[in-house]
Amino acid sequence: MTSAHSSTEAAARALSALRERLARATRTGVGEAGAALALAHVDPAAALAWLRAEEGSARALPAEVLTPVLALLVDRMVGGGDRPAQELGELFWQNPESAEPETIERFLRQIPADAWDAPPIAALLDRTLTRAPVHAGILRLAAERAALAGRDADAHRLLTRLGRSDSSQATIHHIYRIRRALAAPEWPSVRVALLSSYTVDALVPYVDLELRALGLRPEIQVAPFNSWTQEMLAEDSDLARFSPEIALLAVSIDDLLPALASATPLSELEAVGEEAVGRVLFAAERFAARFSAVLVVTSFHSAYRSPAGVLETRGRTRAHWLNDLNQKLGDGLAALPRAYLLDLPDLLARRPAGPSELPKLRYLAGMRLGEHVMAEVARACARYVAPLKGLTRKCVVLDLDQTLWGGTVGEDGLEGIRLGGTSPGIEYQDFQRYLQSLTGRGILLTINSKNNYDDAIEVIRSHPGMILRESDFSAIRINWQPKAENLAAIAAELGLGVDQMVFLDDHPNERELMRQAFPRVLVPDLPHDPALYRSVVEVLPELQTLVVTEEDRGRREQYQVIRERNVAREQSKSLESYLESLAIEVEIQAADDGQIPRLLQLFQRTNQFNLTTRRFELGELATFAQDPAYRLLALRARDRFGDHGLVAAALVRKERAAWRIDSFLMSCRVIGYGVETAFLSAVAAEARREVPALIGEFVPTKKNAPAKDFYPRHGFVRSEPEAGRSAGDGSAAVELWRLELEPRSVPWPVWITVLKPAGQA
Amino acid sequence: MKPEDVLAKVFGVPAREIDDRTSNRTLPAWDSLGHMTLIVELESTYAVSFSAEETLRMNDLGTIKRVLRERGATW
Repeated sequence: MTSAHSSTEAAARALSALRERLARATRTGVGEAGAALALAHVDPAAALAWLRAEEGSARALPAEVLTPVLALLVDRMVGGGDRPAQELGELFWQNPESAEPETIERFLRQIPADAWDAPPIAALLDRTLTRAPVHAGILRLAAERAALAGRDADAHRLLTRLGRSDSSQATIHHIYRIRRALAAPEWPSVRVALLSSYTVDALVPYVDLELRALGLRPEIQVAPFNSWTQEMLAEDSDLARFSPEIALLAVSIDDLLPALASATPLSELEAVGEEAVGRVLFAAERFAARFSAVLVVTSFHSAYRSPAGVLETRGRTRAHWLNDLNQKLGDGLAALPRAYLLDLPDLLARRPAGPSELPKLRYLAGMRLGEHVMAEVARACARYVAPLKGLTRKCVVLDLDQTLWGGTVGEDGLEGIRLGGTSPGIEYQDFQRYLQSLTGRGILLTINSKNNYDDAIEVIRSHPGMILRESDFSAIRINWQPKAENLAAIAAELGLGVDQMVFLDDHPNERELMRQAFPRVLVPDLPHDPALYRSVVEVLPELQTLVVTEEDRGRREQYQVIRERNVAREQSKSLESYLESLAIEVEIQAADDGQIPRLLQLFQRTNQFNLTTRRFELGELATFAQDPAYRLLALRARDRFGDHGLVAAALVRKERAAWRIDSFLMSCRVIGYGVETAFLSAVAAEARREVPALIGEFVPTKKNAPAKDFYPRHGFVRSEPEAGRSAGDGSAAVELWRLELEPRSVPWPVWITVLKPAGQA
Repeated sequence: MKPEDVLAKVFGVPAREIDDRTSNRTLPAWDSLGHMTLIVELESTYAVSFSAEETLRMNDLGTIKRVLRERGATW
């Protein structure tokens, strides 16, 4: 009793001594580190009052002292009502250098969420986010605040950033939960089916995250546990009703062959392995026959090491056997349309962190993918979905200094920049090699750089370390103009929209300026370390393609031709004689199977000269090509500068009273030469043999202004929708234009020559 | 990080609304998938690995703390 009493007294004495020392420290302006920390421990309210007491008392403490004091105060003042929260908030605001993001996160977590939007707290959160832009805790708070305040667009953006900062299952699932509570955004939807021999429910939020990052609204269906075979084969399955656009099939070899857990000899595995591959391929074949969806099948990986241990590390091993199975699986899928093999062992090897799986969850819940593996699988899915939904960008716009080479040519000179076979320098070469490979899939490279033109072009033309040369670039802007202006000029020169461009620049300010000027330009964050440039760009979904056509391979040459043709136009006296000088030839024919992939690209990607912008899928186009009630026409064009390839398409429905042009679209690189008039003239001539009139449909969009006057310009008259034909199928905005067919209703442009397609009469 | 904070992170509820009686019957987000997410998060936060028996028992925060202490975790 006595000792307790005396110890209380001793504590009180110590406390008042602390207060005294602090008061002295305040007067003299010298921080008292130990005393402040001790007081925060024993009497946080007094410490807070002292820190706030006089202007500058908190500032008199060095950051390394104030930082732990603030952290301690947050922990000691849990749920202390609104006043301390307000006062602590002000203290953080006044001492930004001393408030660590973790402390601010803990502080904000302890005050009610409805206080987050109050001015001092909101400003504190915003500033902390600017200082720590990838801090998961702060991002999560900011996203939750935006969601609570009804700022859905901000919430989605912040949630995507949060998912990139922290791919733990807890965070990704929380993001998914928040998003489901937001109003559904008006983004294009995509239907994704997940089929598996194991539990993949936990994968759904990961796939949702990556597809929303692409600006899509995913609808994801998970087939019941291990029902992949029935779902893919049965006529009336949920999968059939769902009608996916893309399906991921993840079958584990351990589920197919339980014998892998035992010391089964390789000789026995050989035969059952074939059978396992056969089962997957059989389901894949049936799937490909029934659905027009893309099918992505994960390759095999076994959770078990060989029970024989090192005994089996001579000669043929289980690993060899598994490789062979994956090879057979890949060969079988390659024989099917729209089927792809996703290399799961490769994905496992490349995951940045974490275990590949948690064996307990495999045994307990049939889960086979660790959280960081799910993140990788979802990113891989996005790389298939982006091209499937026509999100592939057509043009990469590149900075030069610190992006294609190390250093600044204006300062370091041709000799001084880092570019060659050793590091620093080889990183940039490898990055250039990857960029060069993009031209092989039809993606154009361009330059947008602030430099003296002569300095920079000299590097491109004559530096021995350059991989990319002048001929690899379809447009070059090297000057001191703002980069947004240059990008707009490049877009205009190539006839592309800014939403078809990717801007790569090492400089964060330039990236931010571009995002502000053109939110629709894709501006990935290049990492600080140039050794990582290549791997960041390698995995961009927006640079992936599912098919490569002849046109893709030759696109760079075609755009070079445009550059030359623009020169010819300037030299030509009149438009007519200029057009004649081009010697344009077109070939129009019913689309055949070989042209469908290219037609798909045209239908998916053409925005400007597109009368109805209907995005048909591969399967639908193949059906139209066969259907006698339709004419699916393709137009190829060439001129004296080169072959443009297949550049225009039309889908005509042969109705009894009049043929109806459902779709009419043309690549913008041939706008302005009368090719569209020639195409329409051919359609009209063919229709006239069977019906007295032609109807053209037009659906205005934000982008198709170049096509707006197409029908009136060719003598079509606006007509009302026919009685009895409702404006169903979402076509409320369809304009109908009618042309009575007479000889030469649509005159053929005299400067264009028509060629009979090979093999047709 | 305290176990309360882990639950708050996993189930998206404020930590101050969580106490030792918080369980899979009081939080709607704590369903079977949520339980697995919680186990993954606890294991990575405290660098421990629970057995299946422990996993199946950890249905309220009081039990979770008890198991964590048995496994030598501190917070």
